[in-house]
Amino acid sequence: MRTIVWVLAAAFLALITVALSQKGALDPLRNLVLTVVSPLERGVGNAAEPVADVLDRIADRQDLEEDNRQLRQQIEELRAEIADLHEKQALSEGLQALLEVQEGRPNDQFLAARVIAKDPSNLKERIAIDRGRDDGVAEGMVVMSAGSSLVGVVSGALDDFAWVTLITDPNSSVNAMVMESRTQGVVSGTLHSGLKMELLPQEEEVQPGSTVATSGLGGNFPDALLIGEVVSVQGSPQDIFQKAEVEPAADLTRLETVLVLTSFQPARLNHTP
Amino acid sequence: MRYVFLGPLAMTVVLLQVAAAPYFPLMGATANPLMVLLMCWAMVRGPREAMVLIPLTAVFKDLITNDPVGITVLALLPIVPLAAVRERHLTQSEFVPIVVVVAVASISYHLVYMAVLTSLGEDIPWVQSPLRVLLPAALLDAVLTPLFYLPLRWVTTITESQARLRVVG
Repeated sequence: MRTIVWVLAAAFLALITVALSQKGALDPLRNLVLTVVSPLERGVGNAAEPVADVLDRIADRQDLEEDNRQLRQQIEELRAEIADLHEKQALSEGLQALLEVQEGRPNDQFLAARVIAKDPSNLKERIAIDRGRDDGVAEGMVVMSAGSSLVGVVSGALDDFAWVTLITDPNSSVNAMVMESRTQGVVSGTLHSGLKMELLPQEEEVQPGSTVATSGLGGNFPDALLIGEVVSVQGSPQDIFQKAEVEPAADLTRLETVLVLTSFQPARLNHTP
Repeated sequence: MRYVFLGPLAMTVVLLQVAAAPYFPLMGATANPLMVLLMCWAMVRGPREAMVLIPLTAVFKDLITNDPVGITVLALLPIVPLAAVRERHLTQSEFVPIVVVVAVASISYHLVYMAVLTSLGEDIPWVQSPLRVLLPAALLDAVLTPLFYLPLRWVTTITESQARLRVVG
């Protein structure tokens, strides 16, 4: 009987704290606890990473990991450059409206942040960074990797810390474009299996290896921000839309530093009072 | 007095779960050492101590992650009724039921967690979750069980025999 009462009382109190937490009432406490715990968290994370690397090597998956990481970084930078060149080419071909948007945007300004933790749940793809509201970070801001590709969006900001929802999170969706064919679609996260690009018109030709970048539609992301590369395309002729599997350009499992794009005001931020 | 030791131990496990566990995924799933510890605890030493540790550790975990504070308490609550299995003595071995109960607790943890997130408006992929979350996580947590069960059983045996000696003396 006592156990049942305890379970009911605990459930009731937990529901109240969930409600308070949703309203942001516990944010100051969260910030305080994170301030105390984050150095420990970072230390444990730093200690765990080499162990994980060793295990990976034992599993013969990442023998040349360092080289691989550098090459990935180079590829990412080059692809970002290609994406940028594609965009410039499109502009020069007379996309005057896009040019106006581009010219209207001030020079990009970034805020570097260190990744201090990853979400440990099996259902979300989120990271914590050591910059928060006091540094100018706001919910909805776009976050990029050191190699200039899209990482995600700030989904929660405390005074000194913020949570970033990665593009691979099942709740994430980004208006995107295949740069080579200018085909537009929506890139969203899937549970533990990378990215998928949907709503690609059947008549458009999308090839594996094509570069995917943000389209800028909707105003939540700047345009021509590299997302990744098309790995495979699915869809039978009967389907209205094709679907593509996309590999993120940035290695989202091993992020250490990210850049918060502070100069770009996403549309959803403009609506906030 | 015992909570002076238990508290920091459990908090350390929370820290390991948050900071280290994501580096060791299995089929995309991450282990839940806190849940395994608490389930083993409730099975070996009875649910009473677990009933103190669950709210403390769960709230601490939620405060240092992006989860709504309280969600982990809800997800860990099934541990208390599940610990009733220890009274049944279903097999001669104590270990086998614990492994099974840990796997069941892992599944119930994720189901409650997903239900709460869904009720809060998050888009949870329920259809893919059995193969991509529930099963690998239950497997991973079951594999992790000896790491917590064996030291707990050892400490409990020692403290119980010391207590018996004190009574006899």
